[in-house]
Amino acid sequence: MRRVLAQFRKEVIQILRDRLALALAFLLPLLQLLLMGTSLSLTVKDIPIIVQDLDDSPASHRLIDAFRASLTFHIVPWPVDRNPEGAFLANTARGALIIPQHFGWEVTRGSTSAVQLLVDASDANTAKLVAGYAVQIVRAYNDRNAGSIHSRPVEPAIRFWFNPGLSSGKFYGPGIFVLAISMFPPLLATLAMAREGERKTILQVYVSNISAHEFLLGKIAAFMALALCECFVLLAVLFSLFGVSLAGDPTPLLVATVLYVFCVASFGTMVGAAIPNQVAAMQTVLLGGFLLVFMLSGLLFPLENVPTGLRWLSNFVWGRYYIEIVRDAFLQGGGWAAAWYKVLIIGGIGSIFYAAAWRSLRRMQLNL
Amino acid sequence: MNGKNLLGRFLNQRFRALVRKEFNQIRRDRRLVLSLILPPLIQLLLFGSVLSPAVTNLRLGVVDEDSSMYSRELIAALSQSKSFRLSAGYYSVERLGQALERDQIDAGIVIPYDFSRNLVRGRPTTVQVLVNAINANTAEISRGYIEGVIDTYNRGLAGAGIHADFQRRAAPEVSDRGQVGLHPAFLYNPGLATSWFIVTGLFGLLLIMNGSIAASTMMVKEREAGTLEQLLMTPADTSEIIIAKIAPLFALLCVMTFISLGVMKIAFDVPFRGSVLLVFCGAALCLLSGIGIGTFIATFTRSAQQAQLTSFFINPPLSSLSGALTPVEAMPHLMQPLTVINPIYHFGVIARATLIKGSGLAALWPHFLALLAFTVVLVSLSVWRFRKQLS
Repeated sequence: MRRVLAQFRKEVIQILRDRLALALAFLLPLLQLLLMGTSLSLTVKDIPIIVQDLDDSPASHRLIDAFRASLTFHIVPWPVDRNPEGAFLANTARGALIIPQHFGWEVTRGSTSAVQLLVDASDANTAKLVAGYAVQIVRAYNDRNAGSIHSRPVEPAIRFWFNPGLSSGKFYGPGIFVLAISMFPPLLATLAMAREGERKTILQVYVSNISAHEFLLGKIAAFMALALCECFVLLAVLFSLFGVSLAGDPTPLLVATVLYVFCVASFGTMVGAAIPNQVAAMQTVLLGGFLLVFMLSGLLFPLENVPTGLRWLSNFVWGRYYIEIVRDAFLQGGGWAAAWYKVLIIGGIGSIFYAAAWRSLRRMQLNL
Repeated sequence: MNGKNLLGRFLNQRFRALVRKEFNQIRRDRRLVLSLILPPLIQLLLFGSVLSPAVTNLRLGVVDEDSSMYSRELIAALSQSKSFRLSAGYYSVERLGQALERDQIDAGIVIPYDFSRNLVRGRPTTVQVLVNAINANTAEISRGYIEGVIDTYNRGLAGAGIHADFQRRAAPEVSDRGQVGLHPAFLYNPGLATSWFIVTGLFGLLLIMNGSIAASTMMVKEREAGTLEQLLMTPADTSEIIIAKIAPLFALLCVMTFISLGVMKIAFDVPFRGSVLLVFCGAALCLLSGIGIGTFIATFTRSAQQAQLTSFFINPPLSSLSGALTPVEAMPHLMQPLTVINPIYHFGVIARATLIKGSGLAALWPHFLALLAFTVVLVSLSVWRFRKQLS
C-alpha cells in the first residue's frame, strides 16, 4: 500500500510539473466542451426563405405574415420574376414559398388552395425540419383564418419529455463531456506510460521492489484523480452554462463516473504498456478514445442509424454506456433500474483493460 | 520581384533537384504513402455510413384504452412507416411513462377510452403523444412525422363515413373558409439521403486534418533526424525548401482526393451535378491550406509528438466551427461568423453546392477566394517563421 501511494505521488508530481500535460488535461477538455457543446446542433433556427407571391392579395399577405412572424424563418427578398432555384444555387435561401395566382380567390371561396414549398434538400435533415416547421405554420394559419377548428377529428397532443425546451446543448453537452473524459485522461496516461518505455526509465521500476500490481495501481490512481478533477471542472461548466440539472437519483452517475475514470485510465496505461512509443501509443488511444466514442456511442446521432454490420461493435464501446448513464442522470432520471447493468459493463471493461496492462508488465522484465 | 523572375526561380535546376529529392524520399517511405491514402478513405467510408441524423425505427409504446377498430388503425398507420416501430403495449399511462424513463421506448401514444365513441359521434378527440426529447432533432422530426400521419388518418376517416359530421361543425361565418394545402417539394435530394451532407462535409474535414498532420510530420522529421542543417547548407532558399517539401505531399494528397471523390460517387451515390473540376480545384486549395496549417505547426515544434499534441489545440475548434457535420445555421448566432475564417467551411459550401446542387463559379467565387487567401497567408507565414528561426 505504501508503495502504491509512493508511485501515486510520483506520478502526480510528474503531471503537475509538465505544463503541456496540464494544458492538455484541463484547457483542452474545457475548450472542447465549450466549442463543441455549443456549436453542435441540428435544429436549425432562423432559416432564410424566399417568397414568391404571384397572387398579391390580402389572403396571401396574411399567409406571408404568418411565416414572417415565426422565429424559425426569416424572409430574404427575391424578385418574383427570377427563378427561385437561383437562390438555392447561390446559397441565399433554404426554402421558397410559392403562392399561386388565384390563391386569395380560392381561399375566400372556401376551397383548398395548393401552395408550394420548395426546399433545398442538399442537407436532408434540415430539409425535413424546414418542411415540418412550414407545415406547422400553415396548420396554425388554417386554424386561425379558416375557422376550421373541427376539421381535424383526431388531434395529437404532443408532449416533449425530459427536454421540453428542445435544447440541443442539454443533449450534446453531456455527450461532449463524456468524449473529453474518454480522450484526454487516457491520452495523458498513455503518454506517461509509453514515455517510461521509450526512455527506459521503466528499468528503474523493474529493479525496485515494487510489484506490477502496485506499480499499475499507483499509476492508474494518479490518472483517475486527474480525470476526476477534470470531471469536476467539466460538470461545473455543464451545470452553469448548459443548464443541465440532476433529474433523479445521482448515485448511479457517481458510481459510474468513478468506474469510468478507472476504465479510461486503465485503457491508456494498457496501450502505453503495450506500445513503448509515444507517437504510436497516442495514435492508438485516439483511435479508441476518440474515433470509437465519437462514432459508435450515440454521441452525435442515434445508434439505430448505424448500419447493422457495424452496430454490434458499439456493444464494446465503453463510452457508449457512460453516455447513456450521464444522459439518463441529467435528463431522464431513470435511476438504478435503467443503469445497473451499464455500470457493471463499464466496470467489466475497465477490469479487462487492467488485466491486459498487468499481463504485459507482470514479468517486470525487458523484452529485448 | 516580377512574376517572370519568380516563375524562373521555381523552374531552375536547383528547385527541381529539391523536388526530386522529396519525391524520392516519400516514394521510399511506403508506410507514409499508405498512411496518407488509406486512413482517409476508411474514415470517409466509416463516418459516412455511421453518422446519420435520420430518424428511423423509433420504438413506439402504446396505451390503447379504446382498443377499437379505429384506434388499431391509427396505431397501424403510425407503425407502418420507417420512422416508428411498435415496441410494446402498456396497460396504464404510468407504465408507459416508466418505460420512457428507462429508455425502453422512444415515444408513446395514449389513445383515450372514448376515442372511437367520439369519432363515431362526430366529436373531435385528442390522443396524447409522449416523445423522449433529450435529442432535440429527433423529437422535432418525429413531431412532424406524427402530425403528418394523423393528418392522413383524419383524411382517411372520410372513407369510413364519419367525416361529414366534422365538416358541418366548421364555423360557417368566417370570411375565408378555404384551406391552404402546403406541398413541400424537396429539390436536389428527393430521397432525403442524409449521407450526402455528411460525406461532403467530412471530405473537407479529412483534407484539412490529413494535410496538416502529414505536413507537420514531414517537416518535423527532417528536424528530428538532424538533416535540416544539411538542407540549409545547400544554396536553396527557405521558400524553395518549403515549396519543394509541399509538392510531393500535395501530389499524393491529390491522389487521395481523386479516390475520395470516387468513393463518394460509388459508395454514397452523391450526384455529381456540377463541374468535378471545380470541386477538385476547391479540394486542391483546401489541401494547400491544410498543408499550410501543418507547416505552420511544424515551425513551432521540435518533435513529431509535440506536433501532434499541438494539433490537438487547433483541430477541435477547426472541426467544430466548420459546419462539416452539423449545419452552420444551427450554431449560436455569436459563433456563426467565426466559420468565415475556417477553410473547412468554405470547402464544405463549395463541395455541397457543386456536387449536389450544380452551382457554378459565379455563385461560389467568394469561397474560392477565401481558400486562396488562407493558402497564401499560411504558406508565407511558415516561410517567414522558418526564415526567422534560421537567422
